[in-house]
Amino acid sequence: GLSPPATTSGAKVWGCRQWHRTQGRLFPPSEAPAVRGVRAGPSPPLRAVGVRGAEAGWHGAVGKGPGAIASAQRWEEPPVLPVPTASLVLASSSAYKRFSELLPKEERENACSARLPESRILTLPELRANPFQHQICRAFSTSEEGDGSMSFEDFLDMLSVFSDTATLDIKSHYAFRIFDFDGDGVLDRKDLEKLVNCLTGDGEESRLSTAEMEQLIQNILEESDIDKDGTINLSEFQHIVSRSPDFTR
Amino acid sequence: RPPAYGVLPRPCRALVLLNPQSGAGRALEDFQAVVQPMLAEADIATTVFVTERPHHAHEKVRDEDLSQWDTLVVMAGDGLLYEVVNGLMERPDWEDALKKPLCILPGGSGNALAASINHYAGNDHVAKKKLLTNCTFILCKGLHTQMDLVSLSTASGKRLFSFLGFGWGFISDVDIDSEKYRRLGNARFTLGTLQCLAKLRVYQGRLSYLPAAPEQDTPPAPRDPPADSLLVPLGQPVPPHWTVVPEEEFVSVYAIYQSHLGTNLLMAPAARLHDGCIHLFYLKAGISRVALLKIFLAMARGTHLDLNCPHLRYVPVRAFRLEPRAAAGIMTVDGEALACEPVQGQIHGRLCPRGRQSLPPTQEPPPPPKQ
Repeated sequence: GLSPPATTSGAKVWGCRQWHRTQGRLFPPSEAPAVRGVRAGPSPPLRAVGVRGAEAGWHGAVGKGPGAIASAQRWEEPPVLPVPTASLVLASSSAYKRFSELLPKEERENACSARLPESRILTLPELRANPFQHQICRAFSTSEEGDGSMSFEDFLDMLSVFSDTATLDIKSHYAFRIFDFDGDGVLDRKDLEKLVNCLTGDGEESRLSTAEMEQLIQNILEESDIDKDGTINLSEFQHIVSRSPDFTR
Repeated sequence: RPPAYGVLPRPCRALVLLNPQSGAGRALEDFQAVVQPMLAEADIATTVFVTERPHHAHEKVRDEDLSQWDTLVVMAGDGLLYEVVNGLMERPDWEDALKKPLCILPGGSGNALAASINHYAGNDHVAKKKLLTNCTFILCKGLHTQMDLVSLSTASGKRLFSFLGFGWGFISDVDIDSEKYRRLGNARFTLGTLQCLAKLRVYQGRLSYLPAAPEQDTPPAPRDPPADSLLVPLGQPVPPHWTVVPEEEFVSVYAIYQSHLGTNLLMAPAARLHDGCIHLFYLKAGISRVALLKIFLAMARGTHLDLNCPHLRYVPVRAFRLEPRAAAGIMTVDGEALACEPVQGQIHGRLCPRGRQSLPPTQEPPPPPKQ
């Protein structure tokens, strides 16, 4: 596991970040988050984590609400590297650089406490053409106003989950949460419909007809609903995803 | 010209090439439970050859004495039949070898040919187990006929024979991607399509073709092995009577010579085993995701051309050439991935003009064309 690097001249201490700082019920109890940014138990099954200031503490289970990622987009610049610690610090500083570049000049001094509005985040090349850009922002944003704005830690969270070094497990957990629009823990027809509409975009282009949507959802369920209960649960989802690591890129 | 049909001899000796991994590992079981009893009743004796690795079947049919078999049956996916066809074509006595009827029994993997044959036989569209039964029944009846083959030549000097289709871009991406989902038994084209739709790409290249003229008699091809009389070397420009597609950006190009792209995808409803025609489809860049999805969904019923999507073009051809600008995008032949490079191909209808053509899987005489 990762141990916190030594403090340097009063700068913030960067500790381990919990990648799953969301509703605990979706994650196995053995990976319950530790406190204060320092991992107490065995290391989580991932190789790359973001880092964040220890004194920021544990955000707790931030209700992300419905809204989920379906990342189909590949991050070109994996900003977070696995251990050793030095590269972690380096990588997070590259993310820091990207974050502060998106801020208006006058806010860059205090980037650590600034919040980046969603509109600025969406200018990132990785998100610009991504059909799920809004869901992605909502999923990682800890804004209480639900406006999709992100702090640096949120930003780092996002980049780390989408980096090449995040495991399939992490990616698929987030992807599932993002597809689960109504947050009820399963992907039902309504969620799938929303997913398809995200994928096809909201343009003036005609959407799928009701019959076409029905056919598509029927196909999806046939191809992925193993227990035939009419919904896709997390494990069925992960089963599909495990067949194709590309799925969550 | 009325199609000529042959009948398998009785008793009949069949060599069954079976891939035990097909159908999530159930191919052998299905063979013993479903196929063998039916064949026994039809006086067809079977010897099963279980393949252990890729190219195993290819080598077997290429190197062995096949005179003791009246028919070669492939119980697996299209990929195994692809190996068999290419293995046979590598034999010095390929002309004689091709006289032996071939048969495909859907083993549970990619079964586009089986679905096509089922379609030509006038049967309803059916799923796995029923498709296997239908195809076995067709084998039991023992009628066989000629099948067109397409020979493909690549810039790197490969020469391949194909019976199903050649593709580049989106459709091939989906074909290969949905392969990953096949381990649970069913082709998962929908999931593959959605995944590829999310990262929809455009590929640059030049596409040219020789349109199919109606009622044109294919001149008899010289032997040894069948020469591509319609093609000029890849390094030279295409002949002047060819058409060069003006657009140079594609989402996908697919040349299909059977009716089905997958068990649930009726891509070329008018195709027949020996219609002497390559059905060339291409999707131009600029198509929206919605339009692409609509096409995919309509393909389940074969009505995709009725959508009149301006980005989807279809033209029946006898030969084509595809020159990608870069080695980008997956190319597939009969569902198997190929290196991305310039390729050209032409149809070989009735490979052996004299006497009986050997290629054919057994099939029912087709119903009169519905017009």
